[in-house]
Amino acid sequence: MNKATARDDATTVAAPLDFKARARELLPSGANYDACLACGLCTSGCPASGFDGMDPRRFIRMAMLDMNQELATTPWVWTCTMCQRCAHVCPMHIDVSVLVGLARSAWPDENKPKGIVRSCEAQMRFEGTSAMGLQTEDFVEAVQETVEEIHQQDPRFSDLEAPINKQGAYFFVNQNSREPATEPEELGPLLKILDYVGADWTYSTRGWAAENFCMFTGDDEKWRAMVEQRVDAVNQLGCKVWLNTECGHSFYTLWKGVERFKLQANFEAESLVTWYARWIRQGKLPVNADWNHGGLKFTVQDPCQLIRKSIGDEAADDLRFIVKRLVGEDNFIDMQPCRSANYCCGGGGGFLQAGMNPQRRAYGKRKFDQIESTRASYVVTPCHNCHSQIEDIGQFYAGDYRVVHLWTLICLSLGILGDNECRYLGPELASLISTGVSSDA
Amino acid sequence: MREIETGVLIIGGGVTGSGVLRDLALRGIRCLLIDRRDLNAGASGGNHGLLHSGGRYAASDIETAAECIREGNILRRIASGAIDPCDGLFVAIEGDDARFADAFPRHCAAAGIPCQALSSQQALEREPGLTDRIIAAYQVPDASIDPFRITLANVQHARLLGDNDFLPHTELVGFEKSADRITAAVCHDRKHGETLRIRADQFVNASGAWSKIVAARAGCQDVNLLYSKGTLIISNARLSHGVVNRLRPPDDGDILVPGGTVSLLGTTSQNLDSLEHINPSVDEVERILQQGMQLIPELAHTRFIRAFSGVRPLLMSSGAGMDGRKASRGFALLDHEQAGVSNLASIFGGKLTTFRLMAEKTGDLVARRLAITTPCTTADVPLPEHASVRWTEPGFAARHWYQRHDESDAILCECEMVSKCVVDDIIDRSPGHETDMTLKAIGLRSRIGKGTCQGAFCGMRVTSYLYDRRFYQRHNGLQHLKNFLEERFKGIRPVLWGEQMSQIELAETMHCGLMALDLLPKPDTEETAPSADDP
Repeated sequence: MNKATARDDATTVAAPLDFKARARELLPSGANYDACLACGLCTSGCPASGFDGMDPRRFIRMAMLDMNQELATTPWVWTCTMCQRCAHVCPMHIDVSVLVGLARSAWPDENKPKGIVRSCEAQMRFEGTSAMGLQTEDFVEAVQETVEEIHQQDPRFSDLEAPINKQGAYFFVNQNSREPATEPEELGPLLKILDYVGADWTYSTRGWAAENFCMFTGDDEKWRAMVEQRVDAVNQLGCKVWLNTECGHSFYTLWKGVERFKLQANFEAESLVTWYARWIRQGKLPVNADWNHGGLKFTVQDPCQLIRKSIGDEAADDLRFIVKRLVGEDNFIDMQPCRSANYCCGGGGGFLQAGMNPQRRAYGKRKFDQIESTRASYVVTPCHNCHSQIEDIGQFYAGDYRVVHLWTLICLSLGILGDNECRYLGPELASLISTGVSSDA
Repeated sequence: MREIETGVLIIGGGVTGSGVLRDLALRGIRCLLIDRRDLNAGASGGNHGLLHSGGRYAASDIETAAECIREGNILRRIASGAIDPCDGLFVAIEGDDARFADAFPRHCAAAGIPCQALSSQQALEREPGLTDRIIAAYQVPDASIDPFRITLANVQHARLLGDNDFLPHTELVGFEKSADRITAAVCHDRKHGETLRIRADQFVNASGAWSKIVAARAGCQDVNLLYSKGTLIISNARLSHGVVNRLRPPDDGDILVPGGTVSLLGTTSQNLDSLEHINPSVDEVERILQQGMQLIPELAHTRFIRAFSGVRPLLMSSGAGMDGRKASRGFALLDHEQAGVSNLASIFGGKLTTFRLMAEKTGDLVARRLAITTPCTTADVPLPEHASVRWTEPGFAARHWYQRHDESDAILCECEMVSKCVVDDIIDRSPGHETDMTLKAIGLRSRIGKGTCQGAFCGMRVTSYLYDRRFYQRHNGLQHLKNFLEERFKGIRPVLWGEQMSQIELAETMHCGLMALDLLPKPDTEETAPSADDP
């Protein structure tokens, strides 16, 4: 509440957001802004601290000082990736990201970062909900071409299928648009893995896309519309599990969206990471690290959206279990901090698409330094935004590492990786494929 | 002995003394203000910051009530920047005396206070935090006022008008007299351990609760005061739109006043014999909350960050006996002529709301004695709005910092977002600025130490910054820091539960565990050894 005069003046125009009051409504009691100790743990662990003179503590303090106009207009809210590390380390468990989302919503669409707004608009346009504007027929065609290529390339997969709209399949598998739109050869490994474990699964023509930029615009209605469409598609096909691809925010957006918008989902939302680990434990994916005789070092980027914001350290444990099996216990080096305390890479929250490259790379410097100090040759991450950002900062800061998906390493280990599926491998690993060294399955 | 000469020496740097300083300066009379501690060190700093409509006194003291509404209107005109015209409610709840409530509008009308009856529904719409057990509610033009800003602006204005100034930590020790006239005040500079002789034509005793002691130094035994201790508590966030008063004969937790981004709840009333060691107690806080919760139930779950106490210097009036609540809120101006002193005036009693009128009456007497006919103009000339007297306003420093976009201007106090340039401005320009200014003095002139952390972080940061600036040297800064934190802790102690307990555990870890401030060696010279109670 501000001075009475200011309040009266303000009522003559649109009622401004009252951040302190909204925090009281949206955050649990005992963890609202009133509980802040001003200790700054949030701020010292936030890679967005300092942009535009802002940081998470300042966001809270400004709300407490009724600086609503400033909070509703600071561009800092687009450099905060809403990764929730601040909430994770806060002794009072205050979640700043909730109100950052609200601040984003206060921006007129024409002033929001265009990349995020356009991606959301694209998603709203077609039933497939692809943020890259990829239409369903193009997606289906890319999948079919991939299936045909696999049939031709590898006789072991001559029966491989990629079912579409298979009623009653156990898994509804979604797909990040990046593969069908720009790198269809990356579709193959997952298809092979699903075939290898004998999964009962399907793609869908509706709501097949994973990504959700509408959530990043701060527009709750659009976030809801996206999730509703996808939930409905899964319900219609009667699948038991919505299996999310190697992607962070797409898991969070649906899992959280169902709860937030109180949607009726007749299925469980689960991550590929969980299932990779389960299939390995069940012996369905008999991976080993024999191929890594050179002792290449690997580290892991825990996607904030998947680990800290959704499943928790259980998924971080699964991720490490998978990677250690794949590369060898001794060849795995964790970043510090990691798991639920991990730093966001700077690719989240729509930052990659926001067109703020200098800030995004400055943000990512902390991640780059973390990676460099592990001296790993490869960063494994089950997240597309992490993947792109970590590649980008690696190039920008002249790092000496590569970034890979789990599916690439799984297929590599099983000896089923095609020589056209090595896009993210370095020559030392790609050569294993062409010389057939790893083909011991 | 250092000698100073001025036209009028005013003793007591509260809102009245500073008001007299400005009043005289506007009449072109040279004057000097001194205080044994600092500005608003007594009741002027230890109150609700309530600009009374007069409703509180309408039933018991119609004269004071009428004075409040008249003076309140004048202050809204001349000091609008320091006033939040938030209005106030008087609310009676189930169990309160309905006849007392029914008579309220009649009493207000008699005192000239606009008063509008509200239905329970209307009262709840205006103040959603109220209990729904309302039996009567009235709206009156109460407001909140920043007493620090008023006093700082009074002094700053006087300084701009001529050779007038304020000296902190200057304690009156005695008067030098010749026949019926005081020729000089002998003072002790408590910071530097020096004696100071201040010669003047006229002397004004505006020392509030200390008026009786000061008058006695001139041989005048005619000041009679009742000391009534009042304790208040401050919440971490603002709890109401406007002032909320309980409509009943006054009790402990009856008034909730917004103070910018926080709220102040009080007040207790306890008679005192001595003015030493006035600290809030757990018992008082308990009583305030027990009473306050009846009116505003959410107070049970509210985070309070500090308690503080002030001493009301009340006029002894026949009939009220020793009951501080029934004592007059009126003021008295004594010319001491019957006591045989012809150039001393004592002004005491009264209220924050009526300080300007008190200063005007005093100024009239002093001017008459000096044969100066220039009339009082304080009812018409607005108080200056210089930034250097606005740092006490919540959010002002924060907005100033945000708008300047100066990357080199680091924030030192995170709770209230006070940056380096504010500290620079205060130590360079604020009324009472001086070399080796204490952290407490800087805090008094800004929001430093007043936020959630109560000085835990900003205390260390401001001290470090002042060492960097070489403003603090040797052990002085650390000693100032320790004094500042100890002073804050006196107020924090009675509200230690919930989040504030976590807050203070953290502070203790930093101040004692990390910095070992508790083991700071006791300095051996007076210059480096200001006690926590000192300037």
